[in-house]
Amino acid sequence: MKNLITSLVIGAAVLTAPVAATAAGHSELKYVLVSHAPDSDSWWNTIKNGIALAGEQMGVEVEYRNPPTGDIADMARIIEQAAASAPDGIITTLADFDVLAGPIRAAVDQGIDVIIMNTGTPEQAREVGALMYVGQPEYDAGLAAGIRAKGEGVTNFLCVNHAIQQPTVGERCRGYADGLGVELGNSMMDSGTDPAEIKNKVLAYLSANPDVDGILTLGPVSADPTIAALQENGMAGDIHFGTFDLGEEIVNGIKDGTIAWGIDQQPFLQAYMPVVILTNWDRYGVLPGNNINSGPGFVTANGLTKVEEFAGEYR
Amino acid sequence: MTDASKTDAPDTDERVKEMSSFRRSLIRPELGGMVGTIAVFVFFLLFAFDSGMFNSQGVMNWSIVSAQFMIIAVGACLLMIAGEFDLSVGSMIGFAGMMIAVFGVVLGWPMWITIIITFAICIAIGAVNGYIVVKTGLPSFIVTLAFLFILRGFTIYIPQTLENKTIIGGIRDAAEGDWLGAIFGGKIGGGLFEMLGNAGVIATFERGSRMGEPVVDGIPMMIIWAIALIVFGHVLLTKTRFGNWIFAAGGDSEAARNSGVPVNRVKILMFMFTAFCATVFATCQVMEFGSAGADRGLLKEFEAIIAVVIGGALLTGGYGSVLGAALGALIFGVVQQGLFFAGVESSLFRVFLGLILLGAVILNTYIRRMITGER
Amino acid sequence: MADQSKTPIIQMKNIEKHFGAVIALAGVSLDVFPGECHCLLGDNGAGKSTFIKTMSGVHKPTKGEIIFEGRPMDFETPRDAMDAGIATVHQHLAMIPLMSVARNFFMGNEPVKKIAGINFLDQTKADQVTMDEMRKMGINLRGPDQAVGTLSGGERQTVAISRAVYFGAKVLILDEPTSALGVRQTSNVLATVDKVRKQGVAVVFITHNVRHAMAVGDRFTVLNRGQTLGTAVRGEISPDELQDMMAGGQEMATLEGSLGGTV
Repeated sequence: MKNLITSLVIGAAVLTAPVAATAAGHSELKYVLVSHAPDSDSWWNTIKNGIALAGEQMGVEVEYRNPPTGDIADMARIIEQAAASAPDGIITTLADFDVLAGPIRAAVDQGIDVIIMNTGTPEQAREVGALMYVGQPEYDAGLAAGIRAKGEGVTNFLCVNHAIQQPTVGERCRGYADGLGVELGNSMMDSGTDPAEIKNKVLAYLSANPDVDGILTLGPVSADPTIAALQENGMAGDIHFGTFDLGEEIVNGIKDGTIAWGIDQQPFLQAYMPVVILTNWDRYGVLPGNNINSGPGFVTANGLTKVEEFAGEYR
Repeated sequence: MTDASKTDAPDTDERVKEMSSFRRSLIRPELGGMVGTIAVFVFFLLFAFDSGMFNSQGVMNWSIVSAQFMIIAVGACLLMIAGEFDLSVGSMIGFAGMMIAVFGVVLGWPMWITIIITFAICIAIGAVNGYIVVKTGLPSFIVTLAFLFILRGFTIYIPQTLENKTIIGGIRDAAEGDWLGAIFGGKIGGGLFEMLGNAGVIATFERGSRMGEPVVDGIPMMIIWAIALIVFGHVLLTKTRFGNWIFAAGGDSEAARNSGVPVNRVKILMFMFTAFCATVFATCQVMEFGSAGADRGLLKEFEAIIAVVIGGALLTGGYGSVLGAALGALIFGVVQQGLFFAGVESSLFRVFLGLILLGAVILNTYIRRMITGER
Repeated sequence: MADQSKTPIIQMKNIEKHFGAVIALAGVSLDVFPGECHCLLGDNGAGKSTFIKTMSGVHKPTKGEIIFEGRPMDFETPRDAMDAGIATVHQHLAMIPLMSVARNFFMGNEPVKKIAGINFLDQTKADQVTMDEMRKMGINLRGPDQAVGTLSGGERQTVAISRAVYFGAKVLILDEPTSALGVRQTSNVLATVDKVRKQGVAVVFITHNVRHAMAVGDRFTVLNRGQTLGTAVRGEISPDELQDMMAGGQEMATLEGSLGGTV
């Protein structure tokens, strides 16, 4: 009986802790980061860690918000909600300009500072009245990847797109095609997000198109099953394989030669920098004079130590 | 045959035990919704009062989110009372939005024609859903699950084929000045809010081109639609003979048929009405945000069903209330947005939702036992 | 006792019903007079259900004629039969437990009143009529909004019967109304049947319980393997004879012998 009561008390404490923690830690500045990622996207864990660390170091309160299913219309409501709670700044992605421009502009007009991170372009950030853009311009990153892959001998490629509903992510494939100097055509595959499905689609595509000599994946969601697919059909290390973003499996892939390079857009910086910049802007009125490109950075087998140590956490 | 009004026997009978008014009030489908609404508001008034949740913007924020849920919950509620589910609601929202984008932007049709045709297509799909369910006798769960995939597939395929992208924008420009577009995307009561803003009652913009204007500058048509649909649904269900047929069709379709209720017609019409509600949702959304995306409306079918169940309807059909469903939607919206305001880690939202759902279902089962006298 | 000099309200002449290769009814004839309780007996699978479904418009007869009030009738749907005045109270599925008595009572026949040109449900009238009709049948409700689920099986049958009569049933088909009931509830239902008969309604009472049939029946028709074994008038036949006919005479006699006359 006593045990039961103890466990109930602990249970209650665990449940109320999130409320209590924010209620007690009343700091002077508060920033909210709103992403477009569904709960299932583990890549954004780095972002959460990034703002948490920045918040700790700067002594400010930070919050992470996202639409559970990745519905951009829901995200617009979250931005409106964030604006209504009157934080000192909002850090947000610009996943769909049409939908998000209105709520973001309204927040800016209410006197809330906004920084656009990750998705979007410097031009769009300026248009909605944001202070700056921190991220990796998608098309340019894809183009850089394509030029590099061409130098490494790729002529015919497959782009595994697990986020077909986000047009900005698709830009990476387009840029890659342009970098190679070939037509995109139907080289872009709508893979879905289920690992088993992705793996089998990749296997099927590769056996149907034997002339493909390069693969581009757009993140861990599509890269991890693709690694498994290549290990299964024996093309691992044989076919040129580049990917966006990093993760544990990707790092292993780079190490064992399955993957030529991973393009690191350094999400940590995308989360960490805006919090630091907003804090300094609010405290001392200082602001960098330009947008910050957090990527692209090519991560190859050389210098993997740090990446390996912090993959999925800060890298 | 008999003229009932002439009998003047006493209205009460000493042999029947009088029911306590408390127990009586428990036997209302809305009860769970009412208790929940009070509990939820008390909770957030305690934990999030000074967080901006109850200023003009905050109220508007959770009102709109709740109104969204209400629009689809009214359709789902009537359909569930009629004994069926529609799992294709979320996909229908995405599909309807995409149709408006395709007709209005890609093909450049006038917006009012676009909207009318979109409604016609979507309601027809609802009718097909209903027709298949009624004619084959298959569970609506499976039939509409098929349409969940079919519609979502088209919603991705069509824009990709036509435009090579999965989000089509520019709807706001296409709807500019259109009378029917304004009925879905407009706002009303602007003058009142301007007055309140000038009087300093509600917040105004501090900078930018709209400086001095109130941040909340009117009631979006989405909220008006939600209220209109709730009133319509409630009156239809409780005050008309068709409403009695809805209860009968869901309570026991065989008994209803034996009594001359056109069960098939009722069910098909309810599928069409659910599709109509989903299309209203989609139209309001694309008119407000100006773009249609292939991922719109994901999982909305479950959110609608959850709101309806919180509102006291039975999953097995034949029992429920539109007002209850509306309260369920309100609880859903307030909890979803309120947890943000209260600063609760957002991943815990699902935990709260699960707890509320579980509580509601248990309460509903208990209420049903009381109604039917099961022990 | 029905007045035999009157014309029958409904006559079923040589009704045949085939489902593909299966002959469910092979020429069944039956007539019912107003104010008469005509019992239709038969064992499971004798064709009772098919026969009453034909009578109530669910099935169309393959051969044969239905003459209702002197005119040949051709029912397309149960609704047609109902409109003509042939009502069926089914064994199960007559009432919806979650709905109130009033809503059940008027299910499919809801009273309406016009407000601003729109038809609304006339709840006041529905409640009033329900309370009165139930009281006439000896059922005291807490209120018209009491759910049918709280009523006993016999009470539910009574609600269904009085509902049919209220809506002008001239022929009332009762499909095994007593098969699932206890003794006391059965006698309540039989009493209701008696009240209804006295109002001049023709009752077709389907059962396989000879004692229930003997309690209220004026005439008895026995079905066996899709055929009529004959119609008997009350007083001219004993319960044992009826029982024998139901079971197909010969076989029953043999069986009875082996069981020592206990059946």
